Amino acid sequence: MKSILTTLAVAVLATTATQIFAQEPVKAASPIATPAMAVTPTPPPGPAFAAPNLSPSGVRSLAANCAACHGTNGNSAGGAIPGLAGADKEYLIAQMKLFKDGKRVATLMHQISKGYSDAEVSALADYFAAQKK
Amino acid sequence: MGIINRRAFLKSSGAITAVSAASLSGCATVGANVPKVVIVGGGYGGATAAKYIKMWGPSIEVTLIERNTEFVSCPLSNLVLGGSQTMKDITISYDALQKKYGVKLIRGEAIAVDAEKKVVRLAGGDSIAFDRVIVSPGVDFMFDAIAGLNNADAQAKILHAWKAGAQTVALRKQLEVMPDGGVFAISIPEAPFRCPPGPYERACQVATYFKQQKPKSKVLILDANMDIVSKPGLFKKAFAEMYAGMIEYRSSSKLIDVDVRTMTAKLEFDDVKADVLNVLPPMKAGGIANPFITANKRWCEINWLTYEAKNNPGVHLLGDALQIAPLMPKSGHMANAHGKACAAAVVALLTGEQPNTSPTLTNTCYSFVSADKVVHVASVHKYDEKDKTMKTVPGSGGVSSGASELEAQYGMTWARNIWADVLG
Repeated sequence: MKSILTTLAVAVLATTATQIFAQEPVKAASPIATPAMAVTPTPPPGPAFAAPNLSPSGVRSLAANCAACHGTNGNSAGGAIPGLAGADKEYLIAQMKLFKDGKRVATLMHQISKGYSDAEVSALADYFAAQKK
Repeated sequence: MGIINRRAFLKSSGAITAVSAASLSGCATVGANVPKVVIVGGGYGGATAAKYIKMWGPSIEVTLIERNTEFVSCPLSNLVLGGSQTMKDITISYDALQKKYGVKLIRGEAIAVDAEKKVVRLAGGDSIAFDRVIVSPGVDFMFDAIAGLNNADAQAKILHAWKAGAQTVALRKQLEVMPDGGVFAISIPEAPFRCPPGPYERACQVATYFKQQKPKSKVLILDANMDIVSKPGLFKKAFAEMYAGMIEYRSSSKLIDVDVRTMTAKLEFDDVKADVLNVLPPMKAGGIANPFITANKRWCEINWLTYEAKNNPGVHLLGDALQIAPLMPKSGHMANAHGKACAAAVVALLTGEQPNTSPTLTNTCYSFVSADKVVHVASVHKYDEKDKTMKTVPGSGGVSSGASELEAQYGMTWARNIWADVLG
């Protein structure tokens, strides 16, 4: 449950961070605020991430991060880390969700996957599915 | 294309030939002016940028200036000290960059970047013209911060081996001739420095060698920092469980000076003698980046959307020379990520497109705590619009649950894939 919440939080942060933080001062100044709410310590502001860039060149740059471990354009040189080029899109999306939810055993992909929103994962899956092996 | 003749290149670079104009594919500057990018430094950052600019903007002319004849990887170089890898294993040719991607390689020493005249000057007197320049110089060592080490004789005896190559081989030789029962001491400067987990991995690798060959010997870590800088829990566990009685860790042990004659490390409150003394001096951006240093007289600040210098938008910088963003390591993996983000920005700027407004960088550092057990730290960084820097995504990233052989397999595959991503 906790990991699902974290996942949701990450997805929300990555997509609507600016709206969330823009709303906070409005809440604090609301006339219906009770004294109890007034003494609640304000959490430190989270990152104000830019809206994801899912244009073709934006996704290409996003996918380039995967290349360091999975090979350029997802073509792994072999060994323990699988290639991503030409993989089934739905399979890739499902694996990333399993990693995020802690349901697929991993050494680090459970940590990396949480850095990418569902929309980013979907765009990445599209990108790698279309790469030549 | 092989090594190009510098003079021939200079002559042809002024007037672009019909052949190169004909090879243009969809570039905004079809005609006489093929955009020219010059990259100084062919390490993890610069070589990656060269390859990816040619992949994403094939019509752009890319010239890479590199002083070494081959790429020698710093990641895995500690394993040469431990004995499980050879120099050959971690050395890679620049041939594919030239033959497969059409990068022009100049083997030489760049001595200055003239941002106003838009040329890079070489030691031989030649100048290479650019429309955009990428400076990826890595680090220089601040030998002047350690008086006794500020001369060639001392530097030949007290090695850093923090740039993989001849010094890696020389340090391994020092370990080989050291008698059993000797002391290997490694001095770590205050952070930030290149490769935060590297010194602790090196201690483990030297101890691996000692366990096999010189079991009465000791490894002494003299750390200027208050605690282990990277993966502290995992390294302490490795020291205690795998190298008990062999590795000794001392925090807050800043090196003030050395006595090369007696192989003594002079600390603030103590002197430590060693049989092999390995000093990582404080570091700064590589010298050619000096005009672009804006942080603490050591590092270069950049615009994280374009990788342009804060004090000179025409010049792009990347890799270990940067003033890092919060929680961003000076690592080969991160330099590789910088190289691609910078390549995308340079291609966009040269073709009249808007650079990416939302860059993402991912990093993984694998550390070999023995020949076959590995631990990692991983992180994902995204652009923060408000603070105009890269920040880690909350909830992402982390370290290994423990050292494992499985991660050693991943670490080795990571090396093969990132080398191919940089150079192949």
